[in-house]
Amino acid sequence: MSLALETNETLRDADAPPRPQKPRRAPRTGTAVISTVTLAALIGLWFAASQLGLVSPLFLPSPLEVLHQLQSIAIDGYAEGTLTDHVLASAGRIGAALAFGIVLGIPLGLAMGLNRWAKGIFGVPIDLYWGLPPLAYLPLLIIWLGIGEASKILLLSLATFAPICYAAQAGVRSVPVERINAARSLGATPLQVFFTIVFPSALPEILTGVRIAIGASLSTLVAAELIAARSGLGYMIMSAANFLATDVVFVGLVVIAAFAFILTTLMKWAERRLVPWKGKI
Amino acid sequence: MLDIRNATVRYAAADGQEVHALDRVSFTIPARSIVVALGASGCGKSTLLNAIAGFLPLTDGKILLDGQEIHGPGGDRGVVFQKDTLLPWSSVADNVALGLRYRGVPARQRRERAHELLDLVGLSGFEDKSPYELSGGMRQRVGIARALATDPRILLMDEPFGALDSLTRETMQQLLASIWASTGKQVFFITHSIEEALLLGTHILVMSPRPGRIVARYDADFVRRFAETGEADDILADPAFIALRSELRALIHAAPEARAA
Repeated sequence: MSLALETNETLRDADAPPRPQKPRRAPRTGTAVISTVTLAALIGLWFAASQLGLVSPLFLPSPLEVLHQLQSIAIDGYAEGTLTDHVLASAGRIGAALAFGIVLGIPLGLAMGLNRWAKGIFGVPIDLYWGLPPLAYLPLLIIWLGIGEASKILLLSLATFAPICYAAQAGVRSVPVERINAARSLGATPLQVFFTIVFPSALPEILTGVRIAIGASLSTLVAAELIAARSGLGYMIMSAANFLATDVVFVGLVVIAAFAFILTTLMKWAERRLVPWKGKI
Repeated sequence: MLDIRNATVRYAAADGQEVHALDRVSFTIPARSIVVALGASGCGKSTLLNAIAGFLPLTDGKILLDGQEIHGPGGDRGVVFQKDTLLPWSSVADNVALGLRYRGVPARQRRERAHELLDLVGLSGFEDKSPYELSGGMRQRVGIARALATDPRILLMDEPFGALDSLTRETMQQLLASIWASTGKQVFFITHSIEEALLLGTHILVMSPRPGRIVARYDADFVRRFAETGEADDILADPAFIALRSELRALIHAAPEARAA
């Protein structure tokens, strides 16, 4: 070890001016490798547990069974629809809710951050409903809007709206006042200050809000589909549970996990593209 | 010429007590001069700058720029802040040209002007970098270029070099002296460093806190020599400089606030 270090030093000395080292890429790949190994180990444990008969297949089906079931549901379907039908039904609801949350939450949140009247008027109802568990007011939404798509999309929209709105509000309030003053001293009109300073400054927080909204919508989605639905991943899981089809339940969970992973990856990509400066100043 | 007449700022602090941040301050900033406000923290020098910039309304008195009373901020007064206020999502060139964009100057002209100004502050070739790729001193250079881009009638500088390390600070002082000599802009400069005030000021206002007011005025001429030679060492060793520095130090330390700190 010490020998290696000495050799290194001598080599560096020979290279008269010590050149700045390039940032190493090793740590990044290192984390990815560790994560992959951990995932493989978990699946291995799962495989071993079911293969050795440590747990009854009723409670823990083997990975192969789940894989087989995944294939069968994808082709033949389960609970009145193929896997694609269920995925599309769930994705459609989430997509509609996110669109609603973004289109309404961002402008309203920005307005609430900028104007105390807007904050005073809209702050109270949002604070009140955001404290409620979504499943507690779902029955009310069903009574009002029926058992169809409208009540589910509204439930999910309420789950996505609040975090995005809060994030936009916090984003506006985190804009450094010096940055605004700098723009004003350069002759910016209030509208120019908003579009060139306030909105871009708030953007990192807004994107964080969208990420939180995705999480909130996923957890609310499954709950909503468990109670009153005829399609969707939550419905598929619930139907399977009624027949103790644990392997189908696992298929549902795996698909939801993959779904969440894809959305999170998309958001990370969007953050890198839209706010590459985040955390750097 | 900037004319400050009886500028007074009072406001209620969080505990309800009235703070007398600025008390009947009057002075002028003649053309081609650097007026430095010198004082310990809390003496109202930043309040004064914010009032001139138009960020803060006066409770009483008025501020005239070339005979016209100022209301609110505007492109005729360029501000360089202590904290860097560059936009991290814009390139260096776009940051410099921000004020021109607000005026609707076409992109091509903006780019040319940005190039010119980056050349002036010694940052040629950094046009397409991001602000977060630059060091603190470089960012402050961009800040100065940005403030100059709209060709303001006066440059307001709020402890612009206060957060820099001492070596960078010296380089920046040289840069400011040479920019001042070549553009002839009038400058209002805030600092708590006596040496910086003497090195850069043609006029020095010594301020004291509670209420913030001017307690002494000095004229100095070291900045002309500094701009010519670019050498601070000779000036710092000049007996006249040393004598004035001691006088100013004694004056500032006599203020009750400085003693307490």
